[in-house]
Amino acid sequence: MRNTIHRFLALATLALTCAGVGTAAETARETIARAALAGSDRAQREIIGSLAGRSDAAIPELLDAWKRDELFLYAPADGQAPVPVQLTGTPDAAGTRTAVRIADGAPLTDTAGQPLRLIPSDLKAVEHTSGLRRAMKAVLDLVDLGSPDPATRIKAIDTLGKAQAADKLPVLRTRLESETDDDVRDKLREAIALIELKAADDATRIAALGVLADLHTLGSADFVEAARREAETAGRAEIVAAARTAQRAIEGHRSMVDLFGTLFRGASTGSILLVVALGLAITFGLMGVINMAHGEMIAVGAYTTYLVQNLFGAGVVIPFFGLSLAIPGLGLSGGAYNAYFIAAVPASFLAAAVVGVGLERSIIRFLYRRPLESLLATWGVSLVLQQVFRLVFGANNVQVSSPSYLSGNWTINEIIFGWNRVFVIGFGILIVFGIWLVLTKTPLGLLMRAVMQNRGMAACMGVRTERVNMLTFGLGSGLAGLAGAFLSQIGNVGPSLGQSYIVDSFMVVVVGGVGNIAGTVISAFGIGSIDQVLQQYLPSWAPGMAGVPFIGSFLQNLAQDSAVFGKILVLGMIILFLQWRPAGIFVTRSRSLEG
Amino acid sequence: MTDTTSPSTSVNRTRFRAELSAVGVIAVLLLVVFPLLNAQGVVSNFTLGVWGKYLCYALLALSVDMLWGYTGLLSLGQALFFSLGGYMHGMYLMRMIGDLGQYRMPIPDFLVFLGWKTLPAFWEPFDSFAFAMVMVVLVPGVLSFLFGYLAFRSRIKGVYFSILTQALTYAAMIMFFRNNLLMGGNNGFTDFKFILGHSLVDPVEGPKTMRGLFIATGVVLLLVYGLCRWLSTTKFGLVQRAIRDGENRVLFSGYAAASFKLFIFVLCALIASVGGALYVPLAGIINPEEMKPEKSLEAVVWVAVGGRGTLVGPILGAVGVNWLKSWATRAFPDLWLIFLGALFILVVLFLPGGLVSLPSRLAPLWKRLRGPSAGTEAASPATKG
Repeated sequence: MRNTIHRFLALATLALTCAGVGTAAETARETIARAALAGSDRAQREIIGSLAGRSDAAIPELLDAWKRDELFLYAPADGQAPVPVQLTGTPDAAGTRTAVRIADGAPLTDTAGQPLRLIPSDLKAVEHTSGLRRAMKAVLDLVDLGSPDPATRIKAIDTLGKAQAADKLPVLRTRLESETDDDVRDKLREAIALIELKAADDATRIAALGVLADLHTLGSADFVEAARREAETAGRAEIVAAARTAQRAIEGHRSMVDLFGTLFRGASTGSILLVVALGLAITFGLMGVINMAHGEMIAVGAYTTYLVQNLFGAGVVIPFFGLSLAIPGLGLSGGAYNAYFIAAVPASFLAAAVVGVGLERSIIRFLYRRPLESLLATWGVSLVLQQVFRLVFGANNVQVSSPSYLSGNWTINEIIFGWNRVFVIGFGILIVFGIWLVLTKTPLGLLMRAVMQNRGMAACMGVRTERVNMLTFGLGSGLAGLAGAFLSQIGNVGPSLGQSYIVDSFMVVVVGGVGNIAGTVISAFGIGSIDQVLQQYLPSWAPGMAGVPFIGSFLQNLAQDSAVFGKILVLGMIILFLQWRPAGIFVTRSRSLEG
Repeated sequence: MTDTTSPSTSVNRTRFRAELSAVGVIAVLLLVVFPLLNAQGVVSNFTLGVWGKYLCYALLALSVDMLWGYTGLLSLGQALFFSLGGYMHGMYLMRMIGDLGQYRMPIPDFLVFLGWKTLPAFWEPFDSFAFAMVMVVLVPGVLSFLFGYLAFRSRIKGVYFSILTQALTYAAMIMFFRNNLLMGGNNGFTDFKFILGHSLVDPVEGPKTMRGLFIATGVVLLLVYGLCRWLSTTKFGLVQRAIRDGENRVLFSGYAAASFKLFIFVLCALIASVGGALYVPLAGIINPEEMKPEKSLEAVVWVAVGGRGTLVGPILGAVGVNWLKSWATRAFPDLWLIFLGALFILVVLFLPGGLVSLPSRLAPLWKRLRGPSAGTEAASPATKG
């Protein structure tokens, strides 16, 4: 039944396509049926070859079936002409399979109108020679050209262009005339130009290079380079000049793509830094508490996400100090399962906030006057928590599946915008906006700012500073938990997850200026961009470093590890930056000497 | 913790004498009796090596304490200087392997592995022990001078200083993890064979060399202890503690606090570096793990547990905590970190003066137990840092 509907749909599409293109009176199915019946191999090749440029879902299906030996000639008992059929479906106990007429895709029926099931060995198979298979491949190469989906068309055209086969030119030119989509038109022009680079006469090649210079796509760079080399050896000055023009255009485009790509990556790296540092900007920046366990708060959030995910999925068993704690799952799948992240975000915030409040009540509140010692005590906490994670969740990373909606990208003018990075930036903006709302528009935010600006005065006005401390620390920790939920989507979740971010996040807060959220935002994006710029361009600077006396070769060697060297340079820059502005980008002015 | 170190009052003078005699006894035990017992076979070679490492850690702890306990600068980068010293000495030891490595090549194995045929230029001078020792002093010295100059000039202090030193260490660590640095990558240096012509691995000569290294480490520790003790009695030591207790007052009194801090920062980098240089032949390995931010923090734990602002405390803490660690990692491998973390929290919260302050804090309690009328006040109030 389902098969019938499927075929019906295929037929409908076929009919529509035919109406749209309006070329052949004969459907593709009929052509193939005719080919199957054709006597000689040569005739078959010609008939199949006539399909070139046709786009019809039936063509790849039937030709593939042909190559798989699934096409047969059915000779009806009453001596009528043989009918070409395709056997589909799995064989049943008797070895029979459903037979479908190739000519119209309808099931083969007997005289009574009942569907016939046939045994392959009883039938005459439709043969195929290597020459025929080549002809089929030529047809199949072109099928996607007519696909209704522009992305498929572009991909097919790209393959054709890069193969530089001159015999595809007419088809591409025909297509160019009927094509309406601008992107596909550009791709067609590119492909035609690429093929024409192989042309015999100079004028065509120069014209092709002109088109390529106009289009300046990254993909054509290698071909233009090859054409230039060839022309140089052949001594064709004009072609060389045209190729150089094209190369300049492509290089200009490449540096533009690199620049925007780098800026975009910088923004997303900056957002990651921002999200992990925001919690710290609250606890360290506003409260002055050095929370070395901040990284573990992030890990708490990430593990909460992991638990919520399993709660939505198959459930999980957690060994808990000798006991094993089984968490049953809801066993959801598909869209409902992918929605776990929406539940995980508040859960991560709450879990980390609860741990944070516990930490504040039990340890940190005794150390408000001793910042260096709060650093040490919270480091102790961080050690304990890391080991607890290891004991509970294992020393290895746990699997948090990234939702399917994060794996894709937008490509605008050959600059790739990955959705996960877009998500990162969006999440960062949301959190900053949320914090801004909390700090400026809620009574709690007002109290927080009051206590942080002048604790004694706030206490005199009747603010319960102890309680505000607790809530502020809870908010900071909760933000770390959010960061954890967020990091679980783009990286690994393991016991030392937090450790990899703690140094960076302290840097961001210190550079931004303590006690200043806006400074944190600016410094996160600044550090992120500089980091990405260095990573992108360091390798190209490496040769220049050889000139540095004494350590030239050493620097050059290091610059090849652009990720690491870039990071080191960023840290160096931060140290130098603090020479210039010791209190960060935004300074909280105060008349107090110890400020 | 304000006055424990200046031997000006008579009480302090007696305490000072007591400390000196205790140090003398321990020094004789460590430097003479312990190696003798080892020569007799009573103390195993393994134990001797482990205690040698503890002594190197004590040097590291002293460097942390001179900065933190005496000057109020919590440096989280001392493990970097320790490792740098270790690496510089390690380069010499790597050259002494000669062609006895796995690949039987005249250059260190990891270079062969990276495809090098000849020695990189900067490795060549390390054939000389004297050059390596100069580099042990020079490399951490120059680095700490540059960093300290920049940091103190712009008056980076307190927590910021801690965070920046940690960032410096972190940067160095990721750099040393790379093979491209040509310093052994994440495996670091190991498989040492000879030091100054004496074998480290030979079954007959090896233990003797180790004993020599142990004694050398002990002597260096004693000398550094003496240096720090002497420094604390000078006017310099007084300014140092004044900076800790009220830097602005020192500034207003006309002292260039930054220069004092820079001097002590470089000195402490050198102490740590020498500790690292002694550590490498005793441990037989140096790799970037030693530069992890945790390592610096661990050294701070030793000082905090032993008692900062004293000179015996850090040594006691380094040896004690490490001894505890080697026991606990074997007895409770899963729980050791929880134990260490908890120890840290408890010491910070309840015993800010560390183990050495324990007698003075227990004294009133003891008095109260002896006679209820004698001690009226509870333990001395918690010190403030």
